[in-house]
Amino acid sequence: MKRAAILIAIAFASSAMASEPGAEKLPFVYTKWKQFTVKDGLPDDHIFSVKSDGDRIWVGTENGLALIDKKSSKVVKVWTEKDGLPFRAVTGIDVDPKTGDVWLGLFGGGLARLSGGRFDHWHQLNSGLVNDVVYGVAVENDNVWAATTAGASRYNTVTGEWTIFTEKNAPMEEIWNYGVHYGDGKVYLAIWGSGVLEYDVKANRWKDYVDPDGEMEIDLYRDDGIVHVITTGANYVDNVLWVSSYFGVCRYDGRNWRSFYNMDSGLPSDFNNNLRARSGREAWFASDKGLGAVMDAETNTWVAYTRDPKSDSGKAVVTRDKTVLETVEMGLNLPHNFIISVDVDGQDVFVGTAKGLAWGIGEGYYSGLRERPRMLAENRGEGK
Amino acid sequence: MKRLAWILATAALAPLVFVSRGAPPKPVYVGSRVCASCHDGPGMGHQYSKWLLSKHSQAYASLSRPEAWEIAKISGLREAPWEAAMCLGCHSTAYSADERDVDHETFRREDGLQCEGCHGPGSEYAAEAVMRDRKAAMMAGLRMPTKDDCLVCHMEKGSHIAVLSTPAVDIEEAWKRIAHPLPKPSRMAGLREKEPGDYTGSAACGHCHNGPDYGHQFDVWRRSPHARAWAVLATPRAAELAREMNVAGDPQQSAACLKCHAPGPHADEGVGCEACHGAGRKYSTDAIMRDRAAARAAGLRTGSLNDCNGCHNAAHGKPFHAAGAWKKIAHPSRLPSRSAAVKYKNPLRLAFRPGTSELWVTLETGDAVAIIDTRTRRVIAEAPSGAAPTDVAFTSDGKRAFVSNREEDSLSVIDAAARKIEKKLTVGDEPHGVLVTPRDSHVLVLNTSSEDIHVFHPRTLAFEKKLAAGRGPWDLALSPDGGNLLVTNMYSNMTGFRQPLAAELTVIDPVTARTRDRWLVEDANLMMGIDWHPSGRFAIATLNRTKHLVPLTRLLQGWTITNGIAVIRADGRVDQVLLDQPGLGFADATDVEITPDGRYALVTSSGANQVAVLDLAKLTRLLESATEEERRRVLPNHLGKASEFLVKRIPTAASPRGLAISPDGRLAYVANCLDDSIGIIDLATLAPAGKIPLGGPKEITKQRWGEKLFHNARITFRRQFSCHSCHPDGHVDGITYDIEADGIGVSPVDNRTLRGIGDTAPFKWEGTNPSLKRQCGARLSVFFTRNLPFTPEELSAVDYYITTIRRPPNRYHTPGTRYTPAQRRGKEIFERTMTNDGRVIPPEGRCVFCHPPPYYTSRRRFDVGTRQALDRSGLFDVPHLNNIYDSAPYLHNGMAKTLEEIWTVFNPYDRHGYTNDMTKDQLNDLIEFLKTL
Repeated sequence: MKRAAILIAIAFASSAMASEPGAEKLPFVYTKWKQFTVKDGLPDDHIFSVKSDGDRIWVGTENGLALIDKKSSKVVKVWTEKDGLPFRAVTGIDVDPKTGDVWLGLFGGGLARLSGGRFDHWHQLNSGLVNDVVYGVAVENDNVWAATTAGASRYNTVTGEWTIFTEKNAPMEEIWNYGVHYGDGKVYLAIWGSGVLEYDVKANRWKDYVDPDGEMEIDLYRDDGIVHVITTGANYVDNVLWVSSYFGVCRYDGRNWRSFYNMDSGLPSDFNNNLRARSGREAWFASDKGLGAVMDAETNTWVAYTRDPKSDSGKAVVTRDKTVLETVEMGLNLPHNFIISVDVDGQDVFVGTAKGLAWGIGEGYYSGLRERPRMLAENRGEGK
Repeated sequence: MKRLAWILATAALAPLVFVSRGAPPKPVYVGSRVCASCHDGPGMGHQYSKWLLSKHSQAYASLSRPEAWEIAKISGLREAPWEAAMCLGCHSTAYSADERDVDHETFRREDGLQCEGCHGPGSEYAAEAVMRDRKAAMMAGLRMPTKDDCLVCHMEKGSHIAVLSTPAVDIEEAWKRIAHPLPKPSRMAGLREKEPGDYTGSAACGHCHNGPDYGHQFDVWRRSPHARAWAVLATPRAAELAREMNVAGDPQQSAACLKCHAPGPHADEGVGCEACHGAGRKYSTDAIMRDRAAARAAGLRTGSLNDCNGCHNAAHGKPFHAAGAWKKIAHPSRLPSRSAAVKYKNPLRLAFRPGTSELWVTLETGDAVAIIDTRTRRVIAEAPSGAAPTDVAFTSDGKRAFVSNREEDSLSVIDAAARKIEKKLTVGDEPHGVLVTPRDSHVLVLNTSSEDIHVFHPRTLAFEKKLAAGRGPWDLALSPDGGNLLVTNMYSNMTGFRQPLAAELTVIDPVTARTRDRWLVEDANLMMGIDWHPSGRFAIATLNRTKHLVPLTRLLQGWTITNGIAVIRADGRVDQVLLDQPGLGFADATDVEITPDGRYALVTSSGANQVAVLDLAKLTRLLESATEEERRRVLPNHLGKASEFLVKRIPTAASPRGLAISPDGRLAYVANCLDDSIGIIDLATLAPAGKIPLGGPKEITKQRWGEKLFHNARITFRRQFSCHSCHPDGHVDGITYDIEADGIGVSPVDNRTLRGIGDTAPFKWEGTNPSLKRQCGARLSVFFTRNLPFTPEELSAVDYYITTIRRPPNRYHTPGTRYTPAQRRGKEIFERTMTNDGRVIPPEGRCVFCHPPPYYTSRRRFDVGTRQALDRSGLFDVPHLNNIYDSAPYLHNGMAKTLEEIWTVFNPYDRHGYTNDMTKDQLNDLIEFLKTL
């Protein structure tokens, strides 16, 4: 009882502080953006995948792969099929942290490795890859995982062994794998119609996360599990599982599920193509109506980045439980509101859209919430 | 016995299980004694006894005979015969079975080729109810072999004929000899055992008393007539003798006969160990047997002539020569040592130990590193390393050496001062080059066969990472500024069917140990040695330029395989020049070293037995004065240009390989691989200045002679190449050749390995050469070398050497160990007889029909639907599958780049086995199993 009273007192104090004019607990808002399109040298404006790797940004497009040098902010290299890229559409990118080799998922072309400028190519005819339509790729120790339209494939780069995971040997009711991610010793597969599968690498054990509401497209009982079995991405960071779907997004801390929808949070849309989690409290969602970032999951504090297609200007709307806390206008943020891919690295964020790449530069970034004055109507967009 | 009864009872229930579950249980091997429980006695045609009397029952025991070692040697085997999968495949039963597929209670490998070797694992058909219904038995796994099945093992084997001097098996005669028909009507009877009492049986003795440490005592007994003493009672002669002795009934049941022919309770073992040494239960434990007095007290008897006389003296009217018989059955636990095999040294690569005058030399066949004091020019030590040491490198302080061991897939970490191995690190397949980066930040090991690079920390020895290399990474060199690490790769990249070659130079950042770039050297292969010029402006690497797109017979018109160097600029531009000159081929350029002053580059030619000295100022001028067109098209092919910069050809002893130059730049050292010596060259006079013998044997064996001929280019027109040029390390170069003289491109064929091929005749993809003698004889002259062929004596030596080229150990499975789940599933697919939808696969559509173990070739020709427009025929020799994973590309013309493509691309009509019903994961499993062969 005593403990509850203390907690209530703290909450009240926090609320009181937040209400003070000019000093409110608010999340960091990205106001400095750079954009890259075909005009800047990208091979295509449809950005299917993006991966930040130290000083480099790898960009997978519908028609080629590009490399951006962060220091010069220039597209320094482009590979299309003419340059040896085995297939035009690059839907998944991961980098082997030890070797620096870049693994590519090719949407119809299988799997490729870019190492020292050479592409090695694995597809369903020359290798054990289960299918050539690869949505996502993830490096797990000596293994490379590919999420394909006909199951997941695991390639052991030491022994050369291919293992296929489908309904035969995994709790995979559907085999259309959308996304794959490795973190903290576990591989997560986001599957269209089968929720999320977790594979514990050491224990060689599967666990499934499905929607207790079945295949209903409404969330009958809130926070009872994954929002829907049609999932598009899953990330595991700080012992927290984040999931994106076409019907909302959710978070699971190992004990409790929490769902987020457009109707009651800052998520721009329930239709989400992908996600990237930065921590247990912060995750970024690629929706069809803008980029949504839950910056403090506990307080349901979001920043939604959108672009006005008429004025070409962008804005960030900070909300808590759907209440707008501030709106930050900026000259430039996203090249398009249909977001396909997203990555975070250090302080920065990288966003693949239907019309180019956005690079949000997180100067002064802070995690969670911090007391700061609102930036109402402030415009710090700097362009390229 | 109880166990046997249980098996039979279980087996009897097998059909019920089949019916209730709908899927047949996996049959396991139960051993011939289980079969014997029914299949013996006169009513069953003495089938078990007949087998005991056959050579099949002694097949395993024969592997410990001295002759088996020589057969193993000329079969390219590394293991002892009784451990080699290749021998066990025919000399035992179930050698490739997973340990879970064998009933260890009843099955004994020592029983040789047993009933189930021909009739299939018996657990599911052994029950009487099943066996009385042939169809049911066949469904449960019973096989009825044909003469073709016998031929899998009994087809003429050159190795056995050469050593045993026995003619090839006449299969028709042999078929009659092993015939074991059931009488009609048959009357089931079988082995009936008495209560064992204190008798353990000879097999129990054999658990310990076998193998080289015990003089193969069990095998010696198994090969003796004693082991067949009971079985012999089933012969017509025994019946005749019994009649003469007024013995009524079956001699095998007669106490009078059994008294001498099977005195113990285990009748079928005849006169076993305990017949002479006493019942063993009380003395057979290890602790008691190690104490002779205790063993005697527990009942161990030392056999004596008196024991023998009891049965043998004038038995059946035969005189008994006790002393001779005693000698014949001698089974000492210590064997006389095998005549020490002549073991050469084969020096390969050299390196100076920093801060000392020590030159370390890897000895490929010496399994050690020779350490030479260059001041005294003497070998001061030999440090053991591992199997086939290849390269050596040191930490900057010279305290630690790293040696790659090619046949062991390891890196020996050696305390350089103590000359002792500190640790062995596991690396990839067939490691060659080794290098320690500046400030001892990384040690890199090039794995030639697995085509990758292992990176370790030189101090902690922790494994850091594995980098993807080109094809066959071989040597590496660090630029003088420490900024660029270049790796040569022996094989051309897979450029596509009948496309020009392109070898890769892998560029590694030595600080981060990450691959920075990959430069291509067009039309080149066999890039091996590499060294940087002290200026850092360029590096030089050796190479071959193999013109595989023109017929090899064009040798006469100019060139087919030319030899030279690549000059690699720091920015990646590459020039190529030849070191061949008209009439003076520089076959198999192997290593290169540049003098510290940058004036000369020395290059070894292992096929021409010489070192070329290149004046680098002249070479640079030649390249700088050439136009782009000349550099691209003329210089790489011009046989007249070497005279402008090749200032000296220094003769060496046989097969010079590695080079090292003394830190003061005065002397060069050359590893004369097939002379077991280090040659010294005075760099001031550019003349030989002595030789350091490494202590190899003086004797030149037939194998050694053949090895020298194999590596020498004298056999080819203008010494352009040697056998080794296309078969480096006795293996393949991954190239499809046009070896026919009848037009460009007709019948192109993929190169095939020479490792362990002695018994896989016929040769050539079209299977037209029945022997190595034919393959390497006059035909070699006609199609390849266009020069006088080997003399008959030389040919014999070359063929002998080829048969001894050793096959590396399989990296995916060790016989007798468990398969991985995928391998196990793949094995079932390899052996399957039905498609996924339940159709019976005709025998010729099954994998094992053409690829039966142990070589996994039927040595016949088949049309598997792979004939291409330029092929003369669709019939091709069935290749063996041993270590198939390391000899890409595949099919007769190398058009399949991977094992998968054999079936996903080139088997549309199920001509190459029934595979189109298979799911992708089944194909993956099949390939995992193929990699274990």
